[in-house]
Amino acid sequence: MQRPDWAPDTIDIERPSVARMYDYYLGGSHNFAADRAAARAMVDAVPEAPLMAQANRAFLRRAVHFLAEAGIRQFLDIGSGIPTVGNVHEIAQRIDPTSRVVYVDVDPVAVAHSREILSGNDRTAVVQEDLRHPERILAHPDVTGMLDLSQPVAVMIVAVLHFVPDSDRPAEILRTLREALAPGSYLVLSQASDEDRHHTGERAEAEAVYRRTDNPLFIRSRAELISLFDGFELVDPGVGWVPRWRPETPESAEDAEQAVFMGGVGRLGG
Amino acid sequence: MGERSDGHLTPRPGAFARAWAKAVSGTSYLPMTQAQLEALLQRLTDRLAEALVAEPFDLRVGHQVGAELVESHIASAEGLGRTIEVAQLRLLRDLGLAGEDVENRLARLLATVATGYARALRACTLDEQESIRRAAMVARAQAERALRDSEARFRHQATHDPLTDLPNRTLFTERLAAAIDTPGRGADRVGVCFLDLDRFKVVNDSLGHQVGDRLLVSVADRLRRALDEHLVARLGGDEFVILVERTACTDDVVKVAEAALAAVGEPALIDGHELTVSASIGIVERPVAGTTPVDLMRAADATLHWAKAAGGARWSLYDADRNRRELARYALSAAIPAALERGEFYLDYQPLTSLCDGTVLGVEALVRWRHPVLGELRPDSFIGLAEETGLIVPLGGWVLAEACREAATWAGPGGAPPFVSVNLAVRQVHRPDLVHEVRAVLDRTGLPPERLQLEVTESTMMSAVEEPVLALRVLADLGVRIAIDDFGTGYCNLAYLRDLPVTELKVAGEFVAGLRAPADDPASRTDERILASLVSLAHALDLTVTAEGVETAGQADRLRAIGCDAAQGWHFGRPAPPPLSWST
Repeated sequence: MQRPDWAPDTIDIERPSVARMYDYYLGGSHNFAADRAAARAMVDAVPEAPLMAQANRAFLRRAVHFLAEAGIRQFLDIGSGIPTVGNVHEIAQRIDPTSRVVYVDVDPVAVAHSREILSGNDRTAVVQEDLRHPERILAHPDVTGMLDLSQPVAVMIVAVLHFVPDSDRPAEILRTLREALAPGSYLVLSQASDEDRHHTGERAEAEAVYRRTDNPLFIRSRAELISLFDGFELVDPGVGWVPRWRPETPESAEDAEQAVFMGGVGRLGG
Repeated sequence: MGERSDGHLTPRPGAFARAWAKAVSGTSYLPMTQAQLEALLQRLTDRLAEALVAEPFDLRVGHQVGAELVESHIASAEGLGRTIEVAQLRLLRDLGLAGEDVENRLARLLATVATGYARALRACTLDEQESIRRAAMVARAQAERALRDSEARFRHQATHDPLTDLPNRTLFTERLAAAIDTPGRGADRVGVCFLDLDRFKVVNDSLGHQVGDRLLVSVADRLRRALDEHLVARLGGDEFVILVERTACTDDVVKVAEAALAAVGEPALIDGHELTVSASIGIVERPVAGTTPVDLMRAADATLHWAKAAGGARWSLYDADRNRRELARYALSAAIPAALERGEFYLDYQPLTSLCDGTVLGVEALVRWRHPVLGELRPDSFIGLAEETGLIVPLGGWVLAEACREAATWAGPGGAPPFVSVNLAVRQVHRPDLVHEVRAVLDRTGLPPERLQLEVTESTMMSAVEEPVLALRVLADLGVRIAIDDFGTGYCNLAYLRDLPVTELKVAGEFVAGLRAPADDPASRTDERILASLVSLAHALDLTVTAEGVETAGQADRLRAIGCDAAQGWHFGRPAPPPLSWST
């Protein structure tokens, strides 16, 4: 992935994109044959994959709702993917129409699609950048133009960190972001986890599917996720299976460990 | 994304709506809470209930409900199947409806729900497919544009100077070649101004390279602005070049050069220093037919050096004759080392004669070149160039050694043999091994030191460094005579005469020339007075005086009258081989 700055991205729709696979899990049709083939292989390996995606998307919805209710009006959604249903700005702007949202994704097709969907919404911006370059994200004119970093911001890193290997130092990425945030800001984090799941075959198959994409999968444990919240105070109920994070109904938290995604919300004190 | 706003909540959902919500939960991602879902389905339940009993029976309601389910993202095959199933099983019972007619209506209504649902789902699928495909196309177009931009940027980087962003040598060469080689341009003329800042090194050395770089950027900006219709390129360092295409005559390029000099001469404020620089420009303008970029640039470069040599802050125009002469001179100087090896040089001697008694006190060694093609060459045709190129060092060394070797063999006409006077160039005097060299020559030839005189110019003594003076002092202490050549035409700094190890002054021929006029000519009187004061000054300092360029007996008489010690010139003898009578 280390290209010189002037070398542009290539667009190859024959190669599965994790953003469009995720859209497929959510029931969308913003995907191509290669995406669907990879997503189906994933479903063969992990039959609950679509439910996991839905559960994670529902977690995002509840988290944004919670943050908007807590007074957050600025959102930085990194790894936003294909903007299908239930986007951050839809949830946040329903609570306060002045809420501002910047979507960041590395996938040029996802970015182009987001720009089309969001054209006309002048309280949103879309930036093509890589989570692994937080300093570039923070310095991007569309980010600095839309968000006031001297005021609280919610940084959403939902269902994307499992594409960042430890060699890219996720803890440092998060520290860079945290150091740019004002007190009262929040971090929303979720990613694939194998905590208490002992189907090693399942994990190997899932990892094999994602090796076909530009983004291989890096599963992390609950303890690792908690350590990534360093500097933030975890909001109740802490880090766990995403369906158990402030469920709307008790039954929606059932079979939560099937969700694969673990996540939580942290607040920057001070 | 068309989630219903919370304001649309219908009253508490009934049992059917709750069962329906449960049935479709999890069939696809629903961007709403369970309560919002139940409220939505309660509203749709109400519409279905109305349709079941309304008169006339309106099947469009089924289509609308099907479409609305899809719009609300209950949009999957499972979502439809479970909707039909739960309605079939519970709707009539939960609504408290019964009878064959209403069952019939339900079957037909559910069929239209399924139709409306399938149509909407198909439309939605096609729309989404189209929108993602469009996004891929946009992204690809952007990627291609970025590639083109990056290629353009790469091309720009390859053809521009990073410091000033002016075109670089590559682009300039391309454009010059195109101006010359493009077919149909055979009748055109082309001009080039080769520009170099004067004394730029001083800026770099005294104010630092950063200031130097900023000065270059500033000069580049001014040139670009002043000459926007011509290609201005930076070749490197402080060298710029301007291409003037399709000129009508040389004057067109001269105007450009003058505009460039004016632009460079504008004062610039850089890091708090007000810097005013000047430039020199070499101009070449000629028909494109019969020239090449290499020729043109070489000519412009040579012409630039003429402008520099003339003092800078000016332009010079290429002159083919002058260039030819310089090339010949260059060829001549390049031939010096081989000529030394082949023994093409020899020495003539011109006597320095005592004005008291007419004896030959010494002789000045003068180098000659017996050139195999050009014939006998006098020193003025090659010494200047040898001094510029540094070849004067080996040549001067040969003259010194040869003069000493020959002088050592002279017996002299009765009495002491004459001393030999050898010119030392500035570069020779500045060499650290001068003392060693002279001593070695004297040792080797056996010439007594007091029979060697070294002639140096005033400017040699004016050097800021002390070493040359120290070297001359050491030689003087050995007994070698030191003469100041061409005295009176240089700086005439009298202070050094007091401190330096000088034994003799050689007064420049131009003062002596004045003595040829009648003694009552006022100008002649002036020269005579100058000479008289020089002689008395020299004698006061215990120095002897030799007058150069003495051509007549009258001059000799007047010099004798004012007390001049010795004289040199045609009147006393032309440069020639040493007389056979001196041979031992």
